[in-house]
Amino acid sequence: MTTKLKWVDVVIVGLGWTGGILAKELTEAGMKVVALERGGMRTSENDYSLPNIRDELRYVVRHDLMQNTARDTLTVRNNPQQEALPMRRLGSFLPGEVVGGSGVHWSGHTWRWTDMEFKIRSNYEERYGKKFLPDDMTI
Amino acid sequence: MKKPELDRRDFIKGAVVGGAAAAGAIAPVDIAQAEPAVATQATAPQAAGYEFLNLDEAAFIEALVDHMIPADDISPKGTDLGVNIYIDRALAGSWGKGDRLYTHGPWKLGAPSQGYQLPLTPAQLYRAGVDATNAHCHKTYGQSFDCIEAAQREEVLVGLSGGKIKFDNGLPVRTFWTTLYQTVVEGMYSDPIYGGNRNKAGWAIIGFPGVIAVHATMSQATAASRSRTSRLASRT
Repeated sequence: MTTKLKWVDVVIVGLGWTGGILAKELTEAGMKVVALERGGMRTSENDYSLPNIRDELRYVVRHDLMQNTARDTLTVRNNPQQEALPMRRLGSFLPGEVVGGSGVHWSGHTWRWTDMEFKIRSNYEERYGKKFLPDDMTI
Repeated sequence: MKKPELDRRDFIKGAVVGGAAAAGAIAPVDIAQAEPAVATQATAPQAAGYEFLNLDEAAFIEALVDHMIPADDISPKGTDLGVNIYIDRALAGSWGKGDRLYTHGPWKLGAPSQGYQLPLTPAQLYRAGVDATNAHCHKTYGQSFDCIEAAQREEVLVGLSGGKIKFDNGLPVRTFWTTLYQTVVEGMYSDPIYGGNRNKAGWAIIGFPGVIAVHATMSQATAASRSRTSRLASRT
């Protein structure tokens, strides 16, 4: 059965980094925006605070923030001669869920930046010259 | 006349009164008084017993983890790290039961690049693999894995890891070995809340002090505005 929802200007499917920034820009431009996301309700204080979010076993190894392949998965083959079989666990790529997308999926992988990362432009200029990076490149 | 047994109502009343008294008593306790209680807790015996492993499997796992992680100047032995407990809890828990594992057909072994394709949960795989390894040990050495010599155990583990041993029950040896190895590593280095890495001794090997804990408050904005009082998690 089809449920007709109220008309809006924009529907964003997936509210991660991209969807989130688009939603901000579009609503500020005066548009009515609805964003769709899957997965359970998660909050910063319950789910993303330390030390729990740094639980490598739960998140990195067992994929607690990723799509549940017991419910829904893909079949994969690596060439046309193979028979496609279900991907029974996630492996080479990790489709996630919940509001925030990759912004929350990194589960403790957002380490503090190293000294080098603050000097990338200087390092490039030192090695390859001032003209190596285009003016409009923002690193 | 005194009732022979406490009935449900009495129990609840007692619990409420006891609870209130306890709550009243907690407030004035100062740190000096609280310290002995903490010390007692730290020396309390570890939870004993297995949820999933039967006697044969427990003997196998204990021998396995103590062989793979011997007591030396790097770390305590596997059972002292609680790796056997970690494995038992993992197999008894949702992971062992196949949580997040797609368990519908088609059932074909496929190419290695197509990943795990057995119709077994991790707990079933483990059970079948331990059984098959013990069968191999009986056939080759006349005894189960936990009773053979260290050099023979080494031979078995090398045989499993290199795929030289073939199981009579048809279980793919590499698949079992991969899972076995993975769980030993997890029991050594995952958070102590899962039963292994006791006293963070696994983390001590790699110089990891533990995960920073901060106060979780009602909103991110509030959290950000608070002073960042942080401490090292004192989980054991």
